[in-house]
Amino acid sequence: MNSRIDRIILVIFLGITAALAFLPNFVESEYLLRLITVVIFWIGIAGCWNMMSGYTGYIDFGPVVYFGIGSYVVAIAMTKYGIPFFPSLLLSGIMSSLVAFLVGIPTLRLRGAYFAIATFAFAEAMKQITLEFDRTFSVSFFQGSDGITLPISGHDNSFFFYCVLPVTFLVVLAHYFIEHSKFGYGLKAIKEAETAAEISGVNTTANKLGAYVSSAFFLGLFGAIEAYWITYITPSDVFNVQKTVQMVIMTLLGGMGTFLGPVVGATFLTLISEALGARFVEYYLIMIGGIIIVAILIMPNGIIGSLKIRKKFRFI
Amino acid sequence: MTGLECRKVSMKFGALAAVQMVSFSLNPGEILGMIGPNGAGKTTLLNCVIGIHKPTSGKIFLNQIDITGMKPHKICRMGLAKTSQIMEPFMAMTVFENVLVGALHGGRMRMRPATEQTEKVIELVGLKEYASKLSGSIPVPARRRLELARALASGANILLLDENMAGLNPHEIDEALEILKKIRNSGKSLIVIEHIMRVVMGISDRIIVLNYGSKIAEGFPEEVVNYETVIKAYLGDKLSSLKVA
Ligand SMILES: Nc1ncnc2c1ncn2[C@@H]1O[C@H](COP(=O)(O)OP(=O)(O)OP(=O)(O)O)[C@@H](O)[C@H]1O
Ligand SMILES: [Mg+2]
Repeated sequence: MNSRIDRIILVIFLGITAALAFLPNFVESEYLLRLITVVIFWIGIAGCWNMMSGYTGYIDFGPVVYFGIGSYVVAIAMTKYGIPFFPSLLLSGIMSSLVAFLVGIPTLRLRGAYFAIATFAFAEAMKQITLEFDRTFSVSFFQGSDGITLPISGHDNSFFFYCVLPVTFLVVLAHYFIEHSKFGYGLKAIKEAETAAEISGVNTTANKLGAYVSSAFFLGLFGAIEAYWITYITPSDVFNVQKTVQMVIMTLLGGMGTFLGPVVGATFLTLISEALGARFVEYYLIMIGGIIIVAILIMPNGIIGSLKIRKKFRFI
Repeated sequence: MTGLECRKVSMKFGALAAVQMVSFSLNPGEILGMIGPNGAGKTTLLNCVIGIHKPTSGKIFLNQIDITGMKPHKICRMGLAKTSQIMEPFMAMTVFENVLVGALHGGRMRMRPATEQTEKVIELVGLKEYASKLSGSIPVPARRRLELARALASGANILLLDENMAGLNPHEIDEALEILKKIRNSGKSLIVIEHIMRVVMGISDRIIVLNYGSKIAEGFPEEVVNYETVIKAYLGDKLSSLKVA
């Protein structure tokens, strides 16, 4: 309805992304480039969570599982089968969404807390499987807690910057289409009243599954990129529930089910952790916890969700 | 035969037989009234029809196609839409967007035609002043109309209205009746569940009466209110007040 304002914001967003694409030419400091990459990385990951949970209201407590699958697929494809990075990357996304499809069919029938618990349990189970698989079957595949060392990329930070930027760009762009599409209206209707959505003609199963699988696809890509970036993965790292928590908090801080929520939340939290982490090495986590609590208390709908202008500028 | 047909539909919740062996049909262009005391099984019966419940036994046909046990969204897209007795708007969405969901998904339309359809329906039910308000913030009479609008937007040929006038004042009821007449004149058929006798008697071509899950009477409005069983089961005091009125 405010499609004019929305389009303006879209153009601004495209402009910023285009400008960012030239950033590595101007940023001298490796530290700064790395920090910016991390921010963009988290915007993308939080966006993946928002895509599913923000719009449908189904709280996914195991998104990290698709991140982890992406990491493992890229690692195994590159080390065991000698497949180059980019095809492996694509494979990661495809495998993650395939698993999401199979897992989504039974779990998306569950509502409320039961869905959250099921997804959490599945992520923990995947961690155990990758840990114990080799020992159980006497093979060398996931390499258990030893982890897998990927081929050293030899690429500098700007390479990973250019890996992360387009994926995050696609995630945010996907949000724009969700906001303005039949699919998105279906998801929002599901969030508000699932039975009413179903009797109004929304194929609730297909729509939920669509959101879940797309979210998993992008998470798989991010997992793969991170694995190649840090070149060493273990089950407890890539399936770490800490990542899930971070996605959730970033999105809640920014505003669930909003287009700019993950962008704002992820930027805010990453930068504040960086700023405080350097100065207060021992206490910064406590400080961040405090900041989060205060922010949520003041703005229960997140930063974007609480902006007064939201009513007028629905796109935000 | 086109239209809707239920054959010996039963629905049990555990030991409770909420609907028992009910058969009826709805002809094209017809308004069928459905009455019965609280808990008679009216809502449950219609929920079986639109696929929210799968009937324990019996069959339901829409234009001679067996729709028993189909998913609600499929049934909706086949042209059968229901308003809910307990209103369930998509609270965080505007009235316009609520109706749009019906047009986009129920009507399987693209964005542009769906938007046009939504505008038309909102105009028809008189919700224009509320179009850009959040549906959680509008008064009850408007919410009732919203339920109707969302069902209409799907383009369904058969509408099932479950106490869509509950809680309205006499003036609002008159307005609602006008809207129903317009809808019927556009060629749609309706099943109207209503406790307000003035509404059911005035608008229905035929009436069926449920009591304890069973159909106990069926006929023209004047006929039905004179059946002994109906008077006993349901109309008792209400009939006398009706005659006085
Ligand atoms: N989901 C359910 N689970 C168990 N029992 C139910 C369920 N839905 C309805 N019932 C029971 O089935 C019976 C019929 O209820 P129903 O809502 O269909 O009646 P109704 O005719 O619509 O009544 P009212 O006029 O009050 O709306 C009632 O005894 C009710 O308690
Ligand atoms: Mg009822």
